[in-house]
Amino acid sequence: MKKFRQLPAALVTLLLLVAGCSSNSSSSGGSGNTSKPLVIGASLPLSGDFAQPGEASKKGYTIWQEMVNKNGGLLKRQVQLKIVDDASDQNTVVSDYNRLISQDKVDLLLGTFSSLLNIPASAVAEKAGKTYVCPACGSPDMFNRKFKNIFFAQPATAVHQADLFAQWVKSLPADQRPKTAAYPTQDDPFAQPVVNGIKDQLEAAGIKTVYGKVYPADTSNFDTIASDIKNAKPDLIAQGAVFEDGVGLVRSLVKAGYSPKAMFQTSAPSNGDQYSKSVGAANTEGVFYAVSWSPAAKYPLNQEFLQAYQTKFGGVPEEDAADSFAAAQVLQAAVQAVGSVDDQAKLSDWLHNNKVDTILGPLSWDERGAPQQAFILAQWQSGAAQVVLPQNVATSQKIVFPKPNWGGQG
Amino acid sequence: MKLAQTVLLGLLTGGVYALLASGLTLVFGVMRIINVAQGALLILAALFTFEIWRRTGLDPLLAIVVTTPLMFGVGWLLYRGLLARVRAAPEAMTVLLTFALAIAIEGFMGLIWRNVFRSVTPSYFASSFHVGGLFLPKGLAAGCLTAVVVLGLLYLVLTRTWTGRAIRASAENLQGAQLVGVRVVDVAALTFAIGVATTGAGGSILSILQPVFPASHYVWISKLLGIIVLGGMGSLPGAVIGALLLGVAENVTSAYVSPRWSLVVFYVVIMVVLLVRPQGIAGSRLREDVAA
Amino acid sequence: MSRAGAVAAERAAGGSRVPAWVRPAAVTAGVLVLALGPLAIVDNLYIQTVAILTFLLVVSSSGWNIISGFAGYVSLGQSAFIGVGAYTVGILSKHLEVSPFLLAPLGGVAAAVLAAILGLVAMRARGHAFVIITIAFLFLMQTLALNLRSITGGSAGITLPLPTWSRDLGELPFYYAMLALAVLSVALAAWVRRSKLGAGLLAIREDEGKAAAIGIRTPAYKLIGFVVSAVLIGIAGGIDGYFLTFIDPRGMFDILISVQIVLAALLGGRGTVWGPVLGAFLLQPLSEVVNNYFGTQLGARLLVFGGLLALVVVIMPSGIIPTVRNAVRRWRERGSTVPFIEQPVRLATVPAAPAANGQAEAPAEPGARAAPDEPAEPVGTAPPGESAARAPASAVRVSEADREPEPERVPILEIRGLSKRFGGLTALDGCTFSVREGTITGLIGPNGSGKTTVFNLVSGTIPGAGGEVRFSSRRIDQLRSWERPALGIGRTFQITRLFKQLTVLENVVAPLRHFSLRHLASGGTSGAEAARARELLDLVGLGSFGDRTAGTLSFGQQKLVELAQVLMLEPRLILLDEPAGGVNPSLIQHLADLIRQLNREGISFLVVEHNMPLVLELCDPVVVLAAGRTIAQGPPEAIQRDPEVLGAYLGGDGSATERLPRGPAELQEDAPAGPRGPGNPKGDAPVGRER
Repeated sequence: MKKFRQLPAALVTLLLLVAGCSSNSSSSGGSGNTSKPLVIGASLPLSGDFAQPGEASKKGYTIWQEMVNKNGGLLKRQVQLKIVDDASDQNTVVSDYNRLISQDKVDLLLGTFSSLLNIPASAVAEKAGKTYVCPACGSPDMFNRKFKNIFFAQPATAVHQADLFAQWVKSLPADQRPKTAAYPTQDDPFAQPVVNGIKDQLEAAGIKTVYGKVYPADTSNFDTIASDIKNAKPDLIAQGAVFEDGVGLVRSLVKAGYSPKAMFQTSAPSNGDQYSKSVGAANTEGVFYAVSWSPAAKYPLNQEFLQAYQTKFGGVPEEDAADSFAAAQVLQAAVQAVGSVDDQAKLSDWLHNNKVDTILGPLSWDERGAPQQAFILAQWQSGAAQVVLPQNVATSQKIVFPKPNWGGQG
Repeated sequence: MKLAQTVLLGLLTGGVYALLASGLTLVFGVMRIINVAQGALLILAALFTFEIWRRTGLDPLLAIVVTTPLMFGVGWLLYRGLLARVRAAPEAMTVLLTFALAIAIEGFMGLIWRNVFRSVTPSYFASSFHVGGLFLPKGLAAGCLTAVVVLGLLYLVLTRTWTGRAIRASAENLQGAQLVGVRVVDVAALTFAIGVATTGAGGSILSILQPVFPASHYVWISKLLGIIVLGGMGSLPGAVIGALLLGVAENVTSAYVSPRWSLVVFYVVIMVVLLVRPQGIAGSRLREDVAA
Repeated sequence: MSRAGAVAAERAAGGSRVPAWVRPAAVTAGVLVLALGPLAIVDNLYIQTVAILTFLLVVSSSGWNIISGFAGYVSLGQSAFIGVGAYTVGILSKHLEVSPFLLAPLGGVAAAVLAAILGLVAMRARGHAFVIITIAFLFLMQTLALNLRSITGGSAGITLPLPTWSRDLGELPFYYAMLALAVLSVALAAWVRRSKLGAGLLAIREDEGKAAAIGIRTPAYKLIGFVVSAVLIGIAGGIDGYFLTFIDPRGMFDILISVQIVLAALLGGRGTVWGPVLGAFLLQPLSEVVNNYFGTQLGARLLVFGGLLALVVVIMPSGIIPTVRNAVRRWRERGSTVPFIEQPVRLATVPAAPAANGQAEAPAEPGARAAPDEPAEPVGTAPPGESAARAPASAVRVSEADREPEPERVPILEIRGLSKRFGGLTALDGCTFSVREGTITGLIGPNGSGKTTVFNLVSGTIPGAGGEVRFSSRRIDQLRSWERPALGIGRTFQITRLFKQLTVLENVVAPLRHFSLRHLASGGTSGAEAARARELLDLVGLGSFGDRTAGTLSFGQQKLVELAQVLMLEPRLILLDEPAGGVNPSLIQHLADLIRQLNREGISFLVVEHNMPLVLELCDPVVVLAAGRTIAQGPPEAIQRDPEVLGAYLGGDGSATERLPRGPAELQEDAPAGPRGPGNPKGDAPVGRER
C-alpha cells in the first residue's frame, strides 16, 4: 500500500500544480509602471444559457477598448481586456472573479451579463473592495445589500424601466384607454419586475388585470398560453420576455388569431432584424418596448460607436453591446477623474457623486448604485424600430395606436 | 370554449409526444435500458432538420426521410460502440452511461450550433385552421398527423415483419428467442437503432413546433420519462395513452393553474407511478423478489 | 479502522509488507498539510476557492457513496441536498440575525428530513427506477424553489449579507469549515463501512432479497443510509450558500453538480472510503483547467464531463482505487501459486447435547465415518476436546424450552391450504402439511411440484396468495421477509446467494438477529459479532477461510457459509433448499453430520432434496408434493414404497415424467436467474445405494 501513503500529499501537490499552471497562463497586471498595460478583467457568459447576450457584451467591451487605445489609452496606458467565460454558471462566475482579482491581479473590473450572474459576482468584488460596474444587472436584488461599489450602467432599474410606457397609457383619453390588461411574464429576476412595475401603475389607474400568469424560463410552446390570453380578451398585453419567449408568444397569438389594442414586450423587440425576421416583419407593427439605448440618439460618442461597430462586426449593434460600452465608459470616466486605479474606494465615491455622459445618455446613481434616469420608449413602425419617447430623442413623432391586426406571415 | 381549446391542443401535442416516446419505450421493453439520452438525440435530430432546412429549404416534414435513417445510424453506432459493452452491468450503471451520453451530446450540439434557440419556420408554421371558435395551428396539425403515420408504420414493422417479430420475441424471452434462431446481439443493436430512429421523425416534427436549444433535452427527457412511466415502460400502446393523457394534463394545468406547474405534472407522475404501480397503465408486472 | 480489521483487509488484498500504522499516519499527515497549507497562501483567493469547492465535492461524494456505493442505490439527485441546505440557511438568515455558519447545521437537519421523506417513498423502487425517481426529485425541488416565491425568492434567489470578518482572512473561514466537513464525511463513511449498518448496506447491494431473508430490515437500513448520506451534504450546502452569498434555484439544484458528485465517486472508486476523495481531488481541478483552457469553447465542459463519465462507466466501472489495488495484487502474485488451504472434511468432534432426552436415536460419533487417513484435526482449530467444548455450546444457542420435545407438541411449522399462481401457472394448489418440532423433515417431489415456492412463501421471499403459514401457532404469512428470521426461521437457497464481493466473514456477520440503532452502530467485522461469526465458521469447518472473497469459494463451501449465516440468527427452524445439490459427495456426508448435530441441539429442519438416499437416511418424516399439493406424508420407508409417490415421479397422471431423481434438480422457476450452479450430477451412480 505504499501508493496510498503518498496519496494525500500527492493530492495537495496536484492542487497547487493546477493553480500554478493557471497563474502562469494568465497575464499579470502591472502596478504603478505606466508603460505596462492597464488590465481590465471581466467574466462573461460566452457559453450556456446567456451565450447570445454574452457575446454581444463582449463586442461592446472590445469596441470600447479599441476606441480608448486609439485615443492614447487610459491614464496614458494601453488598455488590455481579460475576458473569461463563466458559462452562465454562478459557481464559475464567482471563481472567475476571484481569479481575476487575486491571481491575475487585474487593475479594474467590469461586470458580466444578467442579474443572476452579477448578483454573486458583485459580492466577490465587494468583498475585495473593487469597483464593479455592470452592464446588465437591473434586478432589485442587486441593490438591497447595501453594497458600496456597484453601479448599474443603464438608465434605470428593472422596476422603472417601463415608466414612460405606463405614463403614456395613463395619458390616453378615457374612451381610448385600454380597460383590461394581461401580463404574461417569464420567471426571470429582470423581466418580472419590469412588468410588475407596469402592472402596479396601470392597476392604480383603474385598468383591470385579466391575466397575470408566470411561465418558466424553459417554456417553448406558447399555444396554450396564447389561447388562455385570448380567452381573457385583454385590451393590452405587457409581456416580460427575454427573447425567444417574446417571439414565441407573438407567433402563438398570430396562430390563435388574437391581436390586442396595445402590446408591450421587454427585451425581445430590441433585437432589430433578428426580432422582425423571427416574428415576421408585418407582425411587428405597433409593438412597444423599452430600451436603454437608441442608435439614433445624439448622445456623445454614439455615432462613433455605431461606426466602429459597423466596421469591425458589421450591422447594427445589439442593445447589450451598447450597454457594455456604456459600462466601460462609466469606469473610464471615474478613472480619468480620480487619476489612478489604486484606490478603488475613491472611484466608487466619485461615481456616487457625479454624472457620467455615456452613449445611453447621462447616468447617475444613488447610494445603492441604482441609476436614476429613464428608459427610452420605442415602437416598431413600418418595419423599423423608432424611438417615440422622450421627445428630445424621439425619431418618430407619431405613436401607432391601436395596434393593427397581425399582418401577413414572415 | 377555453376547455375545448385546451384539450384540443393537448391531444394534438399528445399525438406528437406519442411518437417521441415510442422509441424510448421500445428500447426499454426489449433491452431493459432506459435511454436517458433520448431527449438529447431528439434535439439533435431537430437541429439536423434545421440545418437541412437552412441550407436546402427542404420542408422539415419531408426531411424526415433524411433524418430518420441518419438517426438510425447514430443509434446503431452508439449501441455498438458503447452500450453493448455494459450489457452485463447493473441497471443503474447503464442509466448513468446514457445520462453521460446525453450530456456529451448536449456539449457537442453546443459546439456546433451554439447555445442559441433554433427554429424551423416554413410558410405554415404561424398560421392555423379555424374551426368553430377553435384554432388548430397548422404546424401542430401536420406534425400530429405525421406522427400518427410514422407510429402506424412502426407498429406495422413490429407486427408484420420478421424483424419486428424477432424484436418482440427478444423482449418476451431472450433465451427463447435465441433458441429459435434469433441473433439477439444483432436484434439488440437493431432495436436500439430503431428506437433512436424514431427521434429522427420526432425531431423533425418538433423543429416546427418549438424553438430548440441544446439544453432543452432535460425538459424533453422529463416529459418522455413521465409518459412511458405512466403508460407502462415497454408498452407501445401504453406510450400512446400516456402521451395523450399527459399532453392534455400539461395543457390543462398550464391554462387552469399556471404554466409554472405544468412540468411538475410529469415529475409527480414519474414519482407516484413508479412507487404505487410501477407497471403503469399497460405495462407488464415484473416478477422480482419483493424485499421491501 | 480497527487494527484487526485493517490487517484483515490487507490480507484479503493479497498481503502487504506495510505496517499497520502507516495508513493512519498518512491520513493525519494529509489532513495537517491541508489544514496548515492555506496559511501560506492566505492572500490567494483563487486557490482557496478551488479548495473550498473541492472539499464540497468530497463531502457530497462521500455522502453519495454511502447510499449509492455501499448500498448500490445510485442517486442522481444528491445535489438537491446541497440546495436544501443552502436554502435553509438563506431563508432563516432573512429572519434571524445569526451568522449563517451557525445556521448551517440546520441545513443538515433539513436535508436529513428531506432524505427521510424521499427515502420512505423512493426506496421501494430499485435499479433504474430509483435513479429516475431521484432525477425527477431534483427537478421537482428546483421547480418548487422557483415557484414558491414568497419563501424562496423564486428566480431572483436569496442574497446573503457579506461575511463580517476582515478582508485579510480572505475565504479562510469557509476553507476550514469545508475542510472540517470533508474530514467528518470521510470519517463517517469509514465508520459506516465497518459497522453492522455498513455490512447490511453492502449486503443489500449484493443481493437485496437474500439480505431480507437473513433478517436485514431493508427499508430501515436503506432509510438510515439515505439520511446519513444526506446530513453532511446539507450542512455543506448551507456553508456553500454563504460562500456564494447568492442562492438561486438554477445554481442550487443543478443536475450537473449531481453528475460531478457521481463522477467523482465512480472515478475514485465506488464503495471505497477514499475513492470519493481521490475523485474529488482529480475532478475539481480538472474542471478548473477545462474552464481556463477551453472556457470560451462552448460545450467543452459538458463534453468533458459526459465523456469522462461514459468512459469510467464503460472501461473502469469500479474506479481507480480498486482497479489499482487489483493490479498491484496481481503483479505481486505473479508467478506465485494459489496457496492451498486445508479444509477439514469432518467436523470438530462434538459431545452429544447434555440435556437431550427423549431423542429418537443415539447420536453416532460424527467423526467415525471419516476416512481413516484424514488428519485427526482440522487445521487451525484447537485439539478436539477444547474445540468440542467451545464450538457448539457457544455457537449454537437454543433456548432450553426447545430442547424438550413433547409428544403432544404443536408443530413448529404449519402450512395450511397454501396457494400461489404465477400468471397462468399454478405452483401451489392448497398445499397442507406440518413440520414437527425437533425433526428433520424431508420435502420431496418431482420438478415443478412447488417445493421451492413453499420455501419462498415461508421465508417471505415472494408474496403469498391464499392459505396460511403458521410458525409455533403464530401466523407469519403476512409478515415481511425480514421479520421472520427474528422469530427463528432461517433458510438457505438452492443456488447459493452469498454476497460474492464481500469476504466470507463479512457474509457471516451480515445477518441481523434483532434490530436496534445501537446494534447497527456496533462493529461489523470486529467485536462480538465477528467473534461469534468466526466460531460458526469453525463449526462448519471453514474457519481459515474467513478472509477469502466469498465468490471464490467452491459451491459446496458456499453452501456451508450460507448455513453459517443462518446459524448466526439462532434459528429454531432451518429450511434447507437442496443442501446436497451440486456438492462433492465427500462433503455431503459432512453436511449430513452437521445437520444431525444441529438437530440434536434442538433445531428443526425442513429439507428439500432430490438426493433420495440422503433423504431416506436423514429425514423422518418425509412429505411428498406433486402438482402443488401434498400427496403423502410419513416415515421414509413407507414413502419409498407408496404407489402414489412412485406414480408422481414416474408419470402416469401426466404431472411429472421423471424417474426417481438421483442428482441435482433442474433450475426451478423461482430461483434467482443465472446459469446453473457449478454442481453437476457426479455421474448417475447414486450415493449410498450400496448401503
